[in-house]
Amino acid sequence: MLKKKVIFTFSSENVEKPVTYQLIKKYDLWVNILQAKFKPNLGGKLVLELKGSKPQIKEGLDFVRQLGVKVEFLEQEVIWDEKKCVDCGACVAICSTGVISLDKITYKLKFDYEKCIVCGNCVEACPLGAIKVTF
Amino acid sequence: MTVKKTYKEINERIKKGEAVVVSAEEIIPIVEKKGIEKATEEVDVVTTGTFGPMCSSGAIINFGHSDPPIRMQKVWLNDVEAYAGLAAVDVYLGATQLSESKGMAYGGAHVIEDLISGKKIKLKAISQGTDCYPRREIETYITKESINQAILFNPRNSYQNYNVAVNTSHRKIYTYMGILLPEMGNANYSTSGQLSPLLNDPKFMTIGIGTRIFLGGAQGYIVWEGTQFYPQLLKTEGGKRIYKGGTLAVIGNLKEMSPDFIRAAFFKGYGVSLLIGIGVPIPILNSEIMKYVAVKDEDIYTEIVDYSFPRLKKPSLGWVNYKQLREGMINIRGKDIPTSPLSSYAKAREIALKLKAEILKGNFLLQEPIQKLPKKGEFKPLLEIR
Repeated sequence: MLKKKVIFTFSSENVEKPVTYQLIKKYDLWVNILQAKFKPNLGGKLVLELKGSKPQIKEGLDFVRQLGVKVEFLEQEVIWDEKKCVDCGACVAICSTGVISLDKITYKLKFDYEKCIVCGNCVEACPLGAIKVTF
Repeated sequence: MTVKKTYKEINERIKKGEAVVVSAEEIIPIVEKKGIEKATEEVDVVTTGTFGPMCSSGAIINFGHSDPPIRMQKVWLNDVEAYAGLAAVDVYLGATQLSESKGMAYGGAHVIEDLISGKKIKLKAISQGTDCYPRREIETYITKESINQAILFNPRNSYQNYNVAVNTSHRKIYTYMGILLPEMGNANYSTSGQLSPLLNDPKFMTIGIGTRIFLGGAQGYIVWEGTQFYPQLLKTEGGKRIYKGGTLAVIGNLKEMSPDFIRAAFFKGYGVSLLIGIGVPIPILNSEIMKYVAVKDEDIYTEIVDYSFPRLKKPSLGWVNYKQLREGMINIRGKDIPTSPLSSYAKAREIALKLKAEILKGNFLLQEPIQKLPKKGEFKPLLEIR
């Protein structure tokens, strides 16, 4: 079993397609919707967590791409600029899913991207502008 | 036999490369193992460090004179106004002053960081013109190389201890203690605890006017007590004595500082502040001084304060120590609340160790204060008199 967090970007042409339904029904994937932002007829974004075997996920994502939906993996969407960061920790407690922590020995920041749901709390809490989320 | 040392003896040992210097963290296991007396005998200096937002900061800048000359009456640096009511080409640029074009996202602190980093800064000044200073406006660019002086002079830095901020209201609030989530969703604090300069010498036995310090990557000095200085014992909690209100006024050459240890910060919904790295060396002159530098996070208490109450006196929700805060979770009224520091413990440690290395190399000698800081301070409210 593999777990992947993905972002689907829809355009006005493919926004009506029942992507989530097909991923569950046809590809037998376990789907958890983390975030969804849509504008009727204009397009939108969907953040999902997918669970399934490696071939299932691959085939499911190929199907989504064939519909013209842009597929990105979530790891690429949260950008932490370590050079700008001073390891203050202002982003730690505000993180809604415990992605960010301070190492108990070095007191430097650690990011566990697996847990991230791209809520954006850390972005507005960072005094250095060192975290960016493109969603 | 109680050990007594002088500044002169310690400096001699530093010069000979014989001094024993450790950080305020490293001294803890030494004292635990050897005891206060033996540790006092063996250790000459303990270095402290802090790196956090210090709003009461700014820079004195002298631009040099243009030809024809101008008596600058209003001055902007990258659209951030600097106070120009000082002679002709001197200004004071406050860290929290906001940009007139970029608003809250850019301010005096950013200008200071950009200046240190060697960037070009846009200078605009206007004047009414006089016979001796005929010019009425100027627009040009400056860098740290082009100007005569850039002196960091901060009226209140290195707060001894600070509140833990929580929010009991139903809405998210934006404060100088960061973003506070509703229903006590998080708790923010801002002190380096056992590494913090003024918590390691809470009675100001060695820290005074003239003390040489690490300031933003350069060597600076303590020049006065900080504003709102209140060094008195506040109260006792869990058998521990609580000092809270000590502050320092500090000065140093901005041109020698490094963006590694002085950085602009932006607190959403509040504004701009300056993150400053300060390290103070504490000479171990006697065992009483050693007793204080051996302080541990679990012995330092601070007050939990409800920042949703928009008045001067905010409700207290109890006391907590820095060990609990640093573990990442505290319990208030039966609720577990995740904690966040606003000051970087990693940087504080880096500063204490860098200061230690500089002393060991003989590049940093200890300066005995030329005057002690006052024993008492006043923390008066501002009254509205009609």
